Amino acid sequence: MQSHVYQQHIGALDVVGLTKRYGSRVAIFDAGFSAQSGEVVGVIGPNGAGKTTLLEAIAGILPCDGGKIRWNGTEPSRRRDVIFYLPDGVRPYGDQYVEPVLGFFAGVYRRAAGDLDAIVAAVGLNPVRGQRVRTLSKGFARRLIWAIGLLAPQPVLLLDEPFDGFDIKQTREMMNLLRQIAAGSRSLILSIHQLRDAEQICDRIVLLAEGRIRGAGTLAELRAKANLPDGTLEDIFLALT
Amino acid sequence: MVAAGAPLAPLLAKELREIVAGRALWIMLLLLCPLVGFGFFQAVSLYGDASQSALQSPVLATSLSPFDGMLIPTLGSFYVGVTLLFPFVAIRALGSEKETGALRLLVQLPYGSATLISAKLIAIASAWVLCTIPALSALVIWALLGGHIGAGETANLLAGHFLYALLIGAIALFAAAVADSSATAAIITLAFTIGSWVLDFALAGNPGLLGSISRISLTQTLRTFEQGLLSIGLVLGIVAAICAFAALAAVWLPPGVNVRAKLVRSVICIVLAGLIVAATMRIRLVTDVTEDQRNSFPSADARALANLSEPLTVTVHLAPEDPRYVDLSRNVLAKLERVMPNVTIRLAGDRAARTAGQDEHYGEVEYVYGQRSDVSRSTSHREILPLLYALAGREPPRPEPGAEYPGYPLDANAQPALAWFFGALPALIACAWWWSRRPPRIDQTIT
Repeated sequence: MQSHVYQQHIGALDVVGLTKRYGSRVAIFDAGFSAQSGEVVGVIGPNGAGKTTLLEAIAGILPCDGGKIRWNGTEPSRRRDVIFYLPDGVRPYGDQYVEPVLGFFAGVYRRAAGDLDAIVAAVGLNPVRGQRVRTLSKGFARRLIWAIGLLAPQPVLLLDEPFDGFDIKQTREMMNLLRQIAAGSRSLILSIHQLRDAEQICDRIVLLAEGRIRGAGTLAELRAKANLPDGTLEDIFLALT
Repeated sequence: MVAAGAPLAPLLAKELREIVAGRALWIMLLLLCPLVGFGFFQAVSLYGDASQSALQSPVLATSLSPFDGMLIPTLGSFYVGVTLLFPFVAIRALGSEKETGALRLLVQLPYGSATLISAKLIAIASAWVLCTIPALSALVIWALLGGHIGAGETANLLAGHFLYALLIGAIALFAAAVADSSATAAIITLAFTIGSWVLDFALAGNPGLLGSISRISLTQTLRTFEQGLLSIGLVLGIVAAICAFAALAAVWLPPGVNVRAKLVRSVICIVLAGLIVAATMRIRLVTDVTEDQRNSFPSADARALANLSEPLTVTVHLAPEDPRYVDLSRNVLAKLERVMPNVTIRLAGDRAARTAGQDEHYGEVEYVYGQRSDVSRSTSHREILPLLYALAGREPPRPEPGAEYPGYPLDANAQPALAWFFGALPALIACAWWWSRRPPRIDQTIT
């Protein structure tokens, strides 16, 4: 993969006091953390913890009831200029073929044909470029979403359950790809429910339970916070949530 | 950071691909073939029957216009198809993105909501152009059979159908933006279209508020075009309504805006649109585009009437649903309103008095010009115009010898056209559908 495919960014995303309510139910309360360029941050938590809600609120896909998102210390006028969010379970334009769907996103962001081919090769989409999106397997549908994320130039990429649909070998391949993307100084924020995956790929971890952040930091910092010097992420998660 | 000014070409291409990739467009096209074809066949047959005697008599021939005899009935079946089927084509432009979650990707692209909705509306307009293939082919067959097509009146009627379809498309987009599913959006859109039919049947001819409501129903948008009139006020009103529904769709499109803010913006849109539509309804600029000038007085009379500058007040002692009022309105009053600078028309008495038979002047029409007045029961301009000239103290103008509308009788056999509409055209459309589904050619620079 040529290095120019991933654009270089320097900066930091700050999430400050983010709150989201559905009627009287509080889905996210006073969430705050940051992500630096080149960093992979994992939001982990059990099902229903509010991981997807948090990512969608950060991306501006969901209206928030409070809180701020800052990029390099200032609130961007449009979040979509800074953040690109890849939702889970999306199969865009099912009746169209993979090639024109990717061509659309590449065209919007004025990416060169060589960039598109490199990204398609990197995510392993070549075998299905001439296939309809509707007919893709779960794994290839996920790769398509990854490719769209790589075509987008925003410095912050939010990925909801990025390894869902991959087997162990494919997950390892995609983790390597994530590392390459982060090396291009992009900030990656992933929501993951597989703690083992999170332990392997994330530089820092945000523990989320019942819409509240129970801990955030590197694995070492979380171990210290949970007072479990040799604890696994699973032990820490159980101790802090 | 994302650079501003994203290119529009990929967005437009994507919207067109998405409309063409759906089944709704192709199924609609296939259904339109027999629908339009049978309408055309029946129209040509009836026109042929009427033409048989007219071919022997030039006087009878003058009343035979292909505009009424062929064009309106053929496009009438197209109108039914557009009303019932086009919403499903238009809803797909947004509904499928909502259902598959692609909308959450789309709203993150560097386009504003207005740009996204405009691109979808352009795709919908393009879909309508495709849908006109059966109707346009009917016009070609008519010309091949030796029939006459008046360019102005045909273009005007097609423009009316285009505006009607675009209005349906804008309503469908709004419905798709508001609703969670395409099925709900279809119900909302059909409530507008079929609801308009109900309004028309139930309220047409009613005076006052109910009558006003029936006049703004969707079906009324085509009526003026079908009369061969190009009304600038109506065109601007329809364009304003299309823009209003598109703006509402743009307001409800982004998922990241809370409902209260959307409601406030919607109210602003509706109020603004209401004011603009109300203003356009006051524009009286209307042109008769028919070849036989059926909506106009003879040109000498039109010029003479245009010079009558004092106010003319016409008081009609007829119920709006009375056929005589319909005749009077079409043959005289509407033409007077278009040609004279200062005309006021009012219906005398209330509905209760008219139906109870208490109006002893029922059937009379009073004309007041300046200080003079006269009464007539006629609904023909041949009697009323001399009356007006007398009130104004002017001599009736001499009729100008000019090219009279000759009429275009045609006794043609449209039987072979059925083979086109029921066989060849559907087969061609099915082939085009199959061709549109072919896999793309992939040129890879890196493998």
